[in-house]
Amino acid sequence: MIPEEDIQSALQKVPWFKTLTQEHFNKMVTLSHLRHAKAGDIFFREGDKQDFVYIVLKGRVALDIFVPHHGKVRFYTAEPFDVFGWSSVTPGIYQRTAGAGAVLDSTVACIDAEGLRQFAETDHDFGYLLMRRLSNVVASRLMVTRLQLIDMFAGPVETKNE
Amino acid sequence: MTTTILDLPSQNSVNSKKLLFPAWAEIVQIIPEAEGVSTLHLRFIEPEVRERYRFEPGQFNMIYIPGYGEAAISLSSDIETSPGVLVHTIRHVGNVTRAAARLKMGDMVGVRGPFGTAWPLKSIEGMDVVIACGGIGLPPLRGVIYQIIRNRAKFGKVTLLYGARTPSDLMYPKEYETWKSANIEMSVTVDRGDDQWTGRVGVVPMWFYHFRVDSHNTAILTCGPEIMMRFVIYEALARRISPEHIFVSLERNMKCGQGACGHCQQGPYFICKDGPIFPFSALQGIFNVEEY
Amino acid sequence: MNERTLSIGSTITLPKPELDLLMTDLHQRGYKTVGPVLRDESIVYSDLDEMRELPRGILTEQSPASYRLIQTNKERYFDFIPGSQSWKQFLFPPRETLFTGMKGETWHLEENDEPALHYALIGVRACELAAIHVQDKVFMRDDFTDPKYRSIRENLFILAVNCLHPNATCFCRSMGTGPKHSSDFDLCLTELEDTFLVQIGSDLGRSLLEGKRFDLASAFAQNQANEAMDQAAASIVRTLDTSDLAGLFTTALESNRWSEVAKRCLSCANCTQVCPTCFCWDVTDQMDLLGKSTRRERIWDSCFNPNYSYVVGGNTRPNIRSRYRQWLTHKLGTWSKQFGVQGCVGCGRCISWCPAGIDLTEEVAAIRAEVKE
Repeated sequence: MIPEEDIQSALQKVPWFKTLTQEHFNKMVTLSHLRHAKAGDIFFREGDKQDFVYIVLKGRVALDIFVPHHGKVRFYTAEPFDVFGWSSVTPGIYQRTAGAGAVLDSTVACIDAEGLRQFAETDHDFGYLLMRRLSNVVASRLMVTRLQLIDMFAGPVETKNE
Repeated sequence: MTTTILDLPSQNSVNSKKLLFPAWAEIVQIIPEAEGVSTLHLRFIEPEVRERYRFEPGQFNMIYIPGYGEAAISLSSDIETSPGVLVHTIRHVGNVTRAAARLKMGDMVGVRGPFGTAWPLKSIEGMDVVIACGGIGLPPLRGVIYQIIRNRAKFGKVTLLYGARTPSDLMYPKEYETWKSANIEMSVTVDRGDDQWTGRVGVVPMWFYHFRVDSHNTAILTCGPEIMMRFVIYEALARRISPEHIFVSLERNMKCGQGACGHCQQGPYFICKDGPIFPFSALQGIFNVEEY
Repeated sequence: MNERTLSIGSTITLPKPELDLLMTDLHQRGYKTVGPVLRDESIVYSDLDEMRELPRGILTEQSPASYRLIQTNKERYFDFIPGSQSWKQFLFPPRETLFTGMKGETWHLEENDEPALHYALIGVRACELAAIHVQDKVFMRDDFTDPKYRSIRENLFILAVNCLHPNATCFCRSMGTGPKHSSDFDLCLTELEDTFLVQIGSDLGRSLLEGKRFDLASAFAQNQANEAMDQAAASIVRTLDTSDLAGLFTTALESNRWSEVAKRCLSCANCTQVCPTCFCWDVTDQMDLLGKSTRRERIWDSCFNPNYSYVVGGNTRPNIRSRYRQWLTHKLGTWSKQFGVQGCVGCGRCISWCPAGIDLTEEVAAIRAEVKE
């Protein structure tokens, strides 16, 4: 069991947490715990119930999707202060849509998703800040996904000329 | 009145009074890189040409495959670690470059050059440098990486961001340790990774989300697919880096390499002569115009 | 009259038949005389050895997509306006071998070092001379000089002619290039009734008058010529508003007009071929079937050519809209930033010889109107 002080000082390093009021920050601390993972450890699999939202503090975590005949395709890696598993906070999605596993030895802050959702429900000020942060996360993820989709390193394709 | 943005390095080139007449060079080494890409090491046949030839990283040669034609290929040589040898990394996708893939050791190719503007290292001394490149965009920057390493104290934080489609498409992987050990932060990102890949998966521009840059003292050198460069530029501008400190390498159809035949024009610039390296401040109103 | 009293700037009158003697003299000095001749219901620039080969008694009438000859029966030699060809085909040949190669043990290349011809251009109009000056700035620069262009240019003899009957497609006045010549010719003719009024522009021009029957120009002759030239200038109807063209095209890159003109333009490249300032060229390397000999040629190219902007991965100008925009914004806009002179001389060829009848003066006016809104 990791002592709470460690979690507190760990979370204080995360840029977004520095913008929270002391009251909100304390609440976040009660909802979080640290996990030290070894390279290869799994955080969750596709289809799992969503229980936590995660923030990478050290190391690297890869997100993957299983594609038949291709195996597990890694489509994103989360670096320190990246958030993953955020869909557990947004309403409407009920199971993990991707898997997550450590590629390097990593330290990750795990935040209880249900607790977070409830807190956001009762404290709308906090709820707004949370959603604002999450929309940034989603927007940047969308940009990355679009560029991957465009497949800009692919070989030349014959274009139709007029 | 030409619109040269950056000073041309001294022209100790093999341009002669004859029009488009190449000098001969011998292939002394062939290194396969990723699929469809290989690196050629060339050496001029004539000692006098070997003596006279000078270039700066960012510039390119027109490489002539006898009978087939010419292709504009950036110089990837490091001036000091491979003197007298021209290093060219070639992607074999067109008529001429596919003919280049069939060449063997000892074969001769024609060389005209060097042409174009260089990465302006002198003007960014004292600054943090972020080199953001992808795919075949790393070769034109290789010479500059070595120049920075040799003059490491003249620069602040140096970061190399390099992206490719998959791990097997990475250029020069054997040199990464050398670069990292010279106090260069290196972050390699692939579009998609497999089980073995422990590096980053995503796209090069996303690095900006995780790391702070000093807006006033950071220079960006970027080269790669135009889309990648565009998003790198967006992220850099969003972090208030001055367009004068963002340097871009453009590519267009080149035939003469000397700003004469007109093919490589974009806006008022001849990419072969006024570029290929430009500060982004010179490209505003030109770079983002579709199909210009 | 002793030619020793003549100097550069002097004006004389020359009986028309003496022009033949001038041309013979030029031949004797090693010049190849070229000029306008009738061919295929048009006027082309070709070998011209005698006056009788000139389009005698011909007037021309032009409008978008139209060039017509009108027969008068007058003893006049230069009343027409030139056709589709310009003098650039001599200074910058459409097709030229740069080197040939033979493969023995290894490849051996040989430069094409044929000496340049000394051309005497007979009948150069003011807009055409302005176009030669524009191409001088393109082909002979500090950072690059085309050795082939330069050697022809240095040995060029220019017999200029003032236009007296501009056509409807001419807009040289707007571009500041004509219809009257100002300088940089060897001799300049203004055609009168039986004589040519001849202005001497160089020592070479002066020396050619040695032994010819000429008189110092009378005030009457001078007046006649001036009146004719004034009339000519006044008859020019087409205009192009040149105020801040470079600025206009920087802001109008996404104008709707480009899509509109793209519906009419065939991307046939006629305009770039007839234009006396267009300079783009392609390099071709051709090998024989055995792979034993090769030839590198320089040939005229055009930004309308679909493959002009092809790079690996695609074409940066894949449609007519982008290519037409490139041509016009370059010709009238970015060209002056590149070379310090306007790219268009107002000769109007692109208007007459466009099969779709596209008139760039009309396009510019339409874009200006759209930008104003």
